[in-house]
Amino acid sequence: MNASMIIYILGHVLRIEGIFMLMPALMGLIYQEKNGWVFLFMAAGLFLLGFLLSFKKPKNTTIYLKEGCVITALSWIMMSFFGCLPFYITKEIPSLLDAFFETVSGFTTTGASILPDPEALCHATQFWRCFTHWVGGMGVLVFLLAIIPMSGGSNINLMRAESPGPSVGKLVPKMRQTAALLYLIYFFLTILEVFFLVLGKMPVFDSVCTSFATAGTGGFGVYRNSFAGQSDYLQWVVTIFMIFFGVNFNFYFLLLYRYFKKAFKMSEVRAYLFIILGTTLLISANSFQLFNDLPDTFRHAAFQVASIITTTGFASNDFNLWPEPSKVLLVVLMFVGACAGSTGGGIKVSRFMILIKSIKKELQSYVHPKSVSKLSMDGSPIEHEVVRSVNVFFITFMILFTASVFFVSFDNKGMITSFTAVAATINNIGPGLELVGPTQNYAGFSPLAKIVLCFDMLAGRLELFPMLMLFNPKLYHTKPFYTHKIK
Amino acid sequence: MFSKLVHPTTKSLKIIIVGNGKVGHTLTEQLSKEGNNITVIEKDASVIADLDAQFDIITIKGNGASYNTLKEAGVEDADLFIAVTGSDELNLLCCTIAKQFSKCAAIARVRTPDYSQEVAYLRDKLGLAMIINPELESAREMARILYLPTALQVNTFAHGQAEMIKFKIPEGNILDDMTIANLGKHVTHNILICGIERAGEVVIPSGAFVLKADDILYFVAKRDEARKFLKNIHIFTKQVKNTMIVGGGLSTYYLANELLHTGIDVHILESSFERCNELSTLLPDAVVINSDVSSQEGLLGAGLKDMEAFVPLTGIDEENILLTLFAKKVSKAKVITKINRINFSDVISDLDLGSVVYPKLITSEAIIAYARALRASRSSEIETLYHIFDSKAEAIEFRITEASPAVGKELKDLQLKKDLLIAFINRKGKIIIPSGSDTIEIGDTVMIVTTHTGFTEIRDILR
Repeated sequence: MNASMIIYILGHVLRIEGIFMLMPALMGLIYQEKNGWVFLFMAAGLFLLGFLLSFKKPKNTTIYLKEGCVITALSWIMMSFFGCLPFYITKEIPSLLDAFFETVSGFTTTGASILPDPEALCHATQFWRCFTHWVGGMGVLVFLLAIIPMSGGSNINLMRAESPGPSVGKLVPKMRQTAALLYLIYFFLTILEVFFLVLGKMPVFDSVCTSFATAGTGGFGVYRNSFAGQSDYLQWVVTIFMIFFGVNFNFYFLLLYRYFKKAFKMSEVRAYLFIILGTTLLISANSFQLFNDLPDTFRHAAFQVASIITTTGFASNDFNLWPEPSKVLLVVLMFVGACAGSTGGGIKVSRFMILIKSIKKELQSYVHPKSVSKLSMDGSPIEHEVVRSVNVFFITFMILFTASVFFVSFDNKGMITSFTAVAATINNIGPGLELVGPTQNYAGFSPLAKIVLCFDMLAGRLELFPMLMLFNPKLYHTKPFYTHKIK
Repeated sequence: MFSKLVHPTTKSLKIIIVGNGKVGHTLTEQLSKEGNNITVIEKDASVIADLDAQFDIITIKGNGASYNTLKEAGVEDADLFIAVTGSDELNLLCCTIAKQFSKCAAIARVRTPDYSQEVAYLRDKLGLAMIINPELESAREMARILYLPTALQVNTFAHGQAEMIKFKIPEGNILDDMTIANLGKHVTHNILICGIERAGEVVIPSGAFVLKADDILYFVAKRDEARKFLKNIHIFTKQVKNTMIVGGGLSTYYLANELLHTGIDVHILESSFERCNELSTLLPDAVVINSDVSSQEGLLGAGLKDMEAFVPLTGIDEENILLTLFAKKVSKAKVITKINRINFSDVISDLDLGSVVYPKLITSEAIIAYARALRASRSSEIETLYHIFDSKAEAIEFRITEASPAVGKELKDLQLKKDLLIAFINRKGKIIIPSGSDTIEIGDTVMIVTTHTGFTEIRDILR
């Protein structure tokens, strides 16, 4: 284990978080709020701590996949801890565990809140709460890679541990350039959304916060009733941008380099859009009697489908009151999730595509037991390693999911609540059904359940294994297993 | 902002490497270390997985001669295209197809003797920038060593007029305990010592540096001066009379050919009878012996004890090393060990293997020199480049074509970087070992030795 390199990078992460905290401090200044000072002091403290940790660059800068996992898991836990302190210090969230839950939910772009009324927060805290979504959406280590020159190819192990999706590809040969490109696309789309929201007469502050929450596919609402009270135009803008941020960013990269044909042929993006369209139509048909107005029904259905599949978690309507088949469809979408390589969570469309192709292959092998067929996607074969990792991911996901539901069930809040609470956190969505529905919040859970849900959110965002690696005892053997003592 | 990312700085090249065997791997490592944007096309998925974990590059699985794969790799805007797969024909085909829809410079590796006669023709007809033959190049390097057997390595500059020679100072030599300043006074001032390796450390020495026995020395001089110097310090400089080569592969053919041309007797040991027949047809002047190459008796029976030089070229590195060690033990022959694949340079430098030749480095040196030249501005061009001291230092020869801040000033007035030496200036064929009052002029070629890496043009020597 390259401990000095882990500490070095963690130090950099803290410094960056310190810099990020200057933004809410600035908001405090603009709106003349005392809480701004808390952020300013936190920023200074984090920067100093980070500076101390990353003072000396270690000689050996090589990191392997295990270090990549550890760095990723630890930096997310650490960021959430330091990120929650302002909520606690300003007394806007009086319990430390609740503040931690809220911040984990922010960074993991879940959007599950323990706050009954987000409108009660001051501007600085509100801004920080939504800004955590934006930071968490693309990932702080990717940001780190974009700004800090680090030599060697081993840094892909950092990105591999943090980026969503079954396999990580670089857009351009250089890691740093890839990371910078991703952030540029991300930044540009966010600005575009702010522009369209402001055009719809939303206040600038609210537009920025909403855009942060959409961009990271987070879902912290600025308003008490999430997005229900907004105009049709604003709801459509948010729907479209949610769908945009759930698309694999390779798509935008291809557009940027003018490979239009290739971009629109990406089968994952096509499947993703097809699922959105299909479920929207199904839900519209099913819940038509609720609204009795075609454009309204369609808008609410589209908004909800986009919000759930991209794992954002905004609500334009209390879908807890929708008919049963619509609710089931939404719960299924929770697990499907967005495209790999987007800011969304869930199991990911491409993983489901691989799983379904495997089922097809299995069925074919019953007809022709000796047949050989290789799975392929976008015209190139899927390596066995990828198929295997998808299968293992799915099984691990299910085991973790079941175990979490078991732990949460000790709160005796009913099967649907426990089930959807875990589904909504492990898939980084936010609202579930019944007691955790769009109009409710997570404040009522016991500390045990909250800790389990926090773990689920982090595990879901980091694609399970970096978090699970922390529990791998082999990791803490400082010597590699093959060095035996020679007597 | 976007455009800068989409079209990154001009200093880094977009390079596509097809095939990642020994040479491809070395190239990937060196060229990506120098900051280029590299895309590797390779068929083997496990090789790709290793590459991804090791280097900051893009990898594509596929056939480098297929139009679609090349398009995916972005060959249209590539600057340099290098085909180094195991097959000559595939390499040529890759380059030909790449040239069809790209303006990139293309380099192909071609090894078989069938084509090596027609290299110039192929290069011109196919519009390639370079065709390299690692076996031929390493055979030439080995031949140079055998012409001057006391040297561990001989590199040539300025079209063979200047040589950089590596040798070990023997026990009791007059150089033992001599300062470099005294060497200039008492022995000769026509040579320049450009680097010394002692206990793994490389120094670019000053006048006060004291030489010791067992130091490994690199010096540069005119060809005849170099020989005169070696004679003056009582080091034997006669070329070997005969050589035994073990194994009858491609490199054996090239080496034997070189040696026979200069009148050195060549004995070839090869275990396959058919190959022996082929070799004796190709090389009628060589003595071809059909014998088991891995038996002591076979080697001794073939007259190993009478040989002045011994070069095992079996194609298996471990076997070559063992054969070398055996030859060292039973004979006084000059030995050369060729290392194709294995990568333990620290261990290898500890073993007494005589001269060690790495074909993959020879090939990559030539290509890297070309890549750097592509990156440089037009004021100077890289003529030759060698990695010395296990790649801890570089020796680069620049051709000066235009005025630059380093040109036309007395050397003592230039603000040179540390750990850098101007080894010689070649002015119209005359080799000048420079002093402070000399100048670099347009039209010269200048050789620099430095522990810095990545020099692309002459102005890089300035601070």
